[in-house]
Amino acid sequence: MSHNSSSAKITFRNVVKKFGDLSVIKNIELDIEAGSLTTILGPSGCGKTTILRLIAGLELPTSGQIFIGDEDVSALSASQRDVSMVFQSYALFPHMNVGENVGYGMKIQGMAAEERTVKVEEALASVGLSGLSARYIDQLSGGQQQRVAVARALILEPKVMLFDEPLSNLDSKLRRNMREDIRRLQQETGITSIYVTHDQSEALSVSDQVIVMDEGVIAQIGSPHTLYQKPNSTFVATFMGDANIIDGNVIDEGGNAVIDLGDEKIFLSRPTGEVGLGPIIAAIRPESMTLKDTDFTGSTDGMLKGRVISQAYVGVANEYSIDWHGQELFCVVSAYLPAFKPGTEIYISIDPLGISPIHE
Amino acid sequence: MTLVNTSVHNPWRDPVRLWSFFGLFSYFLIPWQGLEYGVFDATPDEFFVAYGWSSINSSTIALAAFIACLIRPWHSWQKAPIIDGTISAFAGVAIFFVATVTKEPLGYGAALQIFALGGILSMALARRGFIQGDPFMTGSVLFIIVAIAIFVFFPVSTVFSKVLFAKDGSFTPDLFFDNLFSFGIGRTVWNSLRMALTVGVATTILGLTFSLFVTRVTKRFHGAIRIFSILPIITPPFVIGLSLILIFGRNGSVNDVLLMLFGDGGIFIGAGQDGWFERSPYIYGFWGIFLAQTLSFTPISFMLLVGMVSSINPALEEASLTMRSSDWQTFRYVTIPLLRPGIANAFLLAVIASLADFGNPLVLGGDYDVLATEIYFSIVGAQLDYPRAATLGIILLFFSLVSFTIQRQWIGKKSYVTVTGKGVGGTFQALPRGIVWGCTIIVVIWVIFTTMLYGSILLGGFVVNWGADYTLTLSHYEELWTRGFGYGAWPSFLTTLGFAAVGAPLTAMVGLLIAYVTTRKQFFGRNVVDFGAMICFAIPGTVIGISYVIAFNTAPILMTGSAVIIVISFVFRNMPVGIRTGISALAQIDPSLEEASLTQRASSIRTIFSIVLPLMRPALISAMVFSFVKSMTTVSAIIFLVTADTQVATTYILGRVEDGDYGQSISYGSVLIVSMLAVIILIDKLVGKSRTERTKV
Repeated sequence: MSHNSSSAKITFRNVVKKFGDLSVIKNIELDIEAGSLTTILGPSGCGKTTILRLIAGLELPTSGQIFIGDEDVSALSASQRDVSMVFQSYALFPHMNVGENVGYGMKIQGMAAEERTVKVEEALASVGLSGLSARYIDQLSGGQQQRVAVARALILEPKVMLFDEPLSNLDSKLRRNMREDIRRLQQETGITSIYVTHDQSEALSVSDQVIVMDEGVIAQIGSPHTLYQKPNSTFVATFMGDANIIDGNVIDEGGNAVIDLGDEKIFLSRPTGEVGLGPIIAAIRPESMTLKDTDFTGSTDGMLKGRVISQAYVGVANEYSIDWHGQELFCVVSAYLPAFKPGTEIYISIDPLGISPIHE
Repeated sequence: MTLVNTSVHNPWRDPVRLWSFFGLFSYFLIPWQGLEYGVFDATPDEFFVAYGWSSINSSTIALAAFIACLIRPWHSWQKAPIIDGTISAFAGVAIFFVATVTKEPLGYGAALQIFALGGILSMALARRGFIQGDPFMTGSVLFIIVAIAIFVFFPVSTVFSKVLFAKDGSFTPDLFFDNLFSFGIGRTVWNSLRMALTVGVATTILGLTFSLFVTRVTKRFHGAIRIFSILPIITPPFVIGLSLILIFGRNGSVNDVLLMLFGDGGIFIGAGQDGWFERSPYIYGFWGIFLAQTLSFTPISFMLLVGMVSSINPALEEASLTMRSSDWQTFRYVTIPLLRPGIANAFLLAVIASLADFGNPLVLGGDYDVLATEIYFSIVGAQLDYPRAATLGIILLFFSLVSFTIQRQWIGKKSYVTVTGKGVGGTFQALPRGIVWGCTIIVVIWVIFTTMLYGSILLGGFVVNWGADYTLTLSHYEELWTRGFGYGAWPSFLTTLGFAAVGAPLTAMVGLLIAYVTTRKQFFGRNVVDFGAMICFAIPGTVIGISYVIAFNTAPILMTGSAVIIVISFVFRNMPVGIRTGISALAQIDPSLEEASLTQRASSIRTIFSIVLPLMRPALISAMVFSFVKSMTTVSAIIFLVTADTQVATTYILGRVEDGDYGQSISYGSVLIVSMLAVIILIDKLVGKSRTERTKV
């Protein structure tokens, strides 16, 4: 499949969507670059699927404008837009075989049967399903059905491709393969793609840009790195993986920012100017913490002192619950380091990269 | 790939202009007014006068609207849809208003042009974002709302106006009360209610008995159950009554046997002595109607209850048994309470069916008058007492709507078991022995009785005169079927076939369309559609009949006596079943299939034809079959609407019954039953298991 030079940017201007009195999308402004893969992430009911359906034209905005490329599509119905969608349930037509499913859109456009057959075979080959075009849908595995759905969306060479939780019905191993394939196809074709999921690792692994949504508004937009390491709110921090939330106060120590926690402190290892002085929330990733014995001989500056409440071995790591001044901290430590029994007093050392300062 | 939007490229191909052109085209070509003797029998003069352009009349409004929307000076304005919409909606309303005032009967031309105005309005609404900006769906919704308004709300409201306004148009609310308290109405109302409640209790008990029997006593009779559920659909409503007359009537078999044993000159009584027994018409009246209705409606109760009985979770009964309760206590305190909503549901629907039943009371009523038949007797023959008929109709509608509202609002939401159509896993514990025996005995009696009835229906046509002369003969059949297509049963049979064949696809389409828009689309006015569909379901056939006669007897919609009105009455009578079939079929189809089609650039009309309809094929066919069969056997609404030219099978049979010719009526009835059964079996075989049924996503 050739590179698609006509892929388009997507723009939302003050878009509001209400169902009855319920505002599902609250005044959203959004710019999505042409040719990028953007993931929309959020808890159920946050409006992520509605955004997708607004782009597809399956819902029309209550107010505001949506542009695909430079065209205002706000009032156009789904069949008038140059957008394809891969559905969560795949939505493959049960009364048609694989070839008919994939060729459906081309048939609607009035393409001749021979030409269609060639196109369909090409599209099926691109998703690794050569020669299956005569099969019926119920003769395919879940993974194959998924690929048919992707082929059907790709074949129309749309300006925009939409994926609505496409992998949620697959088992975890297949899911990883599929998401890599989707990413590869997207990069090959260069079609602007929006991908909705509630699985943050899926979002981080495939996207150029991630949008985190909460209750109809955009909580944060950024690259996967930004969102994981520099969340702008405790919501984003806790939604993008686990985080321990600690209240503190930023003070200056020789130009570097330090979070003062009363008796203890943790180092941020970056200039104070970048962080700003005063009260702050620190979101600490559990895997950035390591545990030290109390008879540890080095400096305990920047470490927290606590006691192990419980320990669980999960194969790749040991997971600890730690009591720190009455607050429970969650901590994930490589299983190849020595384990600590519940009740043991320990020091927690924290990698500065795992600490996100949040002003709220 | 570029977006093709012709309206942007060629302003003259804008749908609004195309619709206007279509409207103008039909304005000049097709007569605006209805022709009294039909399009083909009109004289050239009549034809000319009927054209809209022959004078200034209501059609001039349509002409003006089409010219305005064709020229469309506001084409490029942003507010263009608002102007189009206002013009078309205003023109539509104005046409009806003017035609009502000037008493112009609207004809095919008017229908087409109003359709075109609807097209413009749909386009305008869709452009304003109605139903995701979808003109086809918008048009469908508009069509449904207008159709329900004209053929449900309007006739019902005219029934009310008939009793509230005197002939000269003055408002006379006391007329209703005069009629209400006039002699006989109280008794009729009491008769109807007493009958409905008794039949409700009887059919519910029997329906429950049969449900328990087939799910909990033995599972060997699946074929028999299918026939059991089909029989009431294919049996014309009064044929059961007829067969009761054959068996229990004055000259019926039972009387014959009794007379032979105990009558004058009987085996036990010597000749010349007074017998202990005389022929009497005891079947006419309460017990006759009661028997006939119980026989007719029990299968309906059974169908309602059997799903519920088989979806009780066996673990609930097991839990009760493990808590030391006996099988009787379990049945009494667990099983029956779980079924209570279903039982109440079956009871209320039987009450509605009994209130609405027209055929059986007509044949068996005797002196026992009920609302449904009294409506008919008020306007039949020389009576023509429309206010009285309307009053009775309102009372009947009231009771029917009350029962239906209770059923819908209260019981509809109170179900402890989810009826999925599939039984729950696990096996049931045995029922108490007493219940098992009770069920079995009742079922056996029922089977014997039903066999006797249908036997008498099938055989009755082959004897000279049941009760008097049992010589076998084919004369009834010859009389009906061998005198050529213009004689005997043929004209009515062919007319009925024609009506049913035209009505069935229409019914299925409208029903499924309503199911589709009400379950799949959110739009302003959905409640109106819902409510209209509910009225259609609850409204008794006789009320439809009387309301159509009253409403469509004058301009602007003058249709009484035409074939069109009969087909329309079929459509609206049978539509609720189409709707329900559609709703349950749609529940099986993932909505994202349609969305997938839309995002593949298929228009919504294309999506309906290439995705929705193929997947709904089984539902479509069963709705069509049902409506075809129902149309062939219905009598209540149609008896008000037929004329000598549009005589149908059921009214022909009733005519024979009135002449006392039971031989011909029963043989015609059995031909209907057998041919309907053949249709059902044939279609069952033809459709078979299709691919669509096999795969459900």
